[in-house]
Amino acid sequence: MLLDNPIFDKFMVEYAPNELIFCEFEPGNEFYIIQSGRVKIVKIVNNTEKTIDVLKPGDIFGEMAILEEQPRSASAIALEHCKILKFHRDNFDALIQGNPQMAYKLLVIFSKRIYDAKRRLMILLLEEPQLKVMDVLIMLAESDPHIDMQGPITLRCNIEEVANWAGMQINEVQKILTHFNATGKIELYNDRIHIKNIRDFQRIVNSRRKSS
Amino acid sequence: MAITMRSYKSGSIVYMEGDKSEYIYILKSGRVVLTTKKVEDKTWVEEKVHVKPGEFFGVKSALGRYPRDETAQTLGDTVVLVLTLADFEKMILQNVGVVKKMLRVFSNQLRKIGKTVREVLGEGESINPEVELFKLGEYYYNMGRPQQAMYAFKKYLEYYPDSKYASQAKDKLQQLKSGNFATSSPGVGFSTQTRSGQRIADENMTDFNIEEEDISEQSKPETTRSPLGGEMDDFLSDNKSNDILDDLTLDDQTFSEVSMQDINEIFYEGMRLFASGQYQDAVKLYERIINSKSLQGEAEKRIYEKAHFELGRCHYKLGKYNEALNTLSGLIKKFPKSTVIKNALLYMGMIFEDLKNYEKAIAYYSKAASMEPKDQTNRDAQNRLMKIQNSQGRR
Repeated sequence: MLLDNPIFDKFMVEYAPNELIFCEFEPGNEFYIIQSGRVKIVKIVNNTEKTIDVLKPGDIFGEMAILEEQPRSASAIALEHCKILKFHRDNFDALIQGNPQMAYKLLVIFSKRIYDAKRRLMILLLEEPQLKVMDVLIMLAESDPHIDMQGPITLRCNIEEVANWAGMQINEVQKILTHFNATGKIELYNDRIHIKNIRDFQRIVNSRRKSS
Repeated sequence: MAITMRSYKSGSIVYMEGDKSEYIYILKSGRVVLTTKKVEDKTWVEEKVHVKPGEFFGVKSALGRYPRDETAQTLGDTVVLVLTLADFEKMILQNVGVVKKMLRVFSNQLRKIGKTVREVLGEGESINPEVELFKLGEYYYNMGRPQQAMYAFKKYLEYYPDSKYASQAKDKLQQLKSGNFATSSPGVGFSTQTRSGQRIADENMTDFNIEEEDISEQSKPETTRSPLGGEMDDFLSDNKSNDILDDLTLDDQTFSEVSMQDINEIFYEGMRLFASGQYQDAVKLYERIINSKSLQGEAEKRIYEKAHFELGRCHYKLGKYNEALNTLSGLIKKFPKSTVIKNALLYMGMIFEDLKNYEKAIAYYSKAASMEPKDQTNRDAQNRLMKIQNSQGRR
């Protein structure tokens, strides 16, 4: 959302390339709307900085701070020179009063976050590790609108990502994926996974989920 | 706006869990029950929610473009308004109060789910943002990213000025500000840093356990699991898909996920370039190894550590002393038990000698010379140490 009204000038903050906008675990009271430049959202997972998202002008971030103070769940780093509107929670009501389209955008963001979190719970609450791994693959397939689940599919992901989603250790996930690979269910590459029949995985996971 | 109205008999299904649809509903009259699932004690239990007249339903799944995660069924004769996403957006823009209410409801739900996720992952209360913020600073500090480290330490001191790592955060911030955070002498700064690093590491045992397990698994001969690199080899030798090769060379993204074979190749290509004096090109290759994320097993880990040393050595040859010191001290901090530590210390000594900082050079050489097991590197360090001491003594 680009807000080029001069009223907002006093909320405009400029960031240099590589500058931290906020960092993980820092208490958060502000939310941000990018006006120019790109922002990288990163998290330290197992001692490695992982990029979760790259945001572009018009995007909103730090929105969890809108309703209450919470530690940030990730860090935001300016990828290039950025102009960003920074609003304190206290200004939120006034802001959306004048910009209802922003409120709509926020509703969409929150809807997605809720679904993603619920979907993640569905994975985590499966009991068997193989099922968790299968369900992560299903989830990744579902979240890509270009994927047709009827045929063979290719997911752009690596073992580390799958492990992260499944809440499992990398070597355990590797064992399972290697097994799927050996039995011909998937073809494992270092940057992607090719799945012959994701519907099979869905059937297996759904039958186990109901019985539990 | 062309909002349609729809009438249902009792017991009708408005939509089913799993349906995909972009409609949003408002209950006009009658009753609708939403059957959904929520988590209690780590199991899914059914939950029924009654929609009141005038309320929206089906909002989240339509907005987020996800399958419905509940089933909506009528109780008694019911009339609903059916909105498309566009209708809904128009309506919302005219009624900000409704959005605010919805946002509040949504953020509450999100917070509850987030809490459940953390509980299931066993992270419940164990994550202490105060400690984590300090650890974040340490992470960037150790990675040689002073800008990010300074930010984290500053924030730490701002929010937790009297906490247990405050004095450490202050020290590090001071070092970062003075710009010579990597050049502390081994006698003083270096050893305290290792100790503080150790303390942090202890609190973060899980990360270390993973690595430890990884190594022990690898060394078991009967283990059935083959590293992904092995899989890659098979694919390549079978020539099943030639495009993998193209991907590896063309796609920047795959650089971070290079397989074992590639890492070996890259490492030795770097050595070759170094030997022929093409330091700048070697730097690129070592950086590629250091930036790769999915290294597994002892062999790859060793190459990863060595790449740090080689990178430092390239920087030294290029006369980039600061970068060389950053890389080498980063290596010492990150892998205090690495086999290349001694060489790293030797090179740091050489850098300081070049910079005519003889005091520090002596400190690093002595440290290298005293390290077990004794080999050629110790002798090199000892010889250089004696040379400096002689020339210093003569002055």
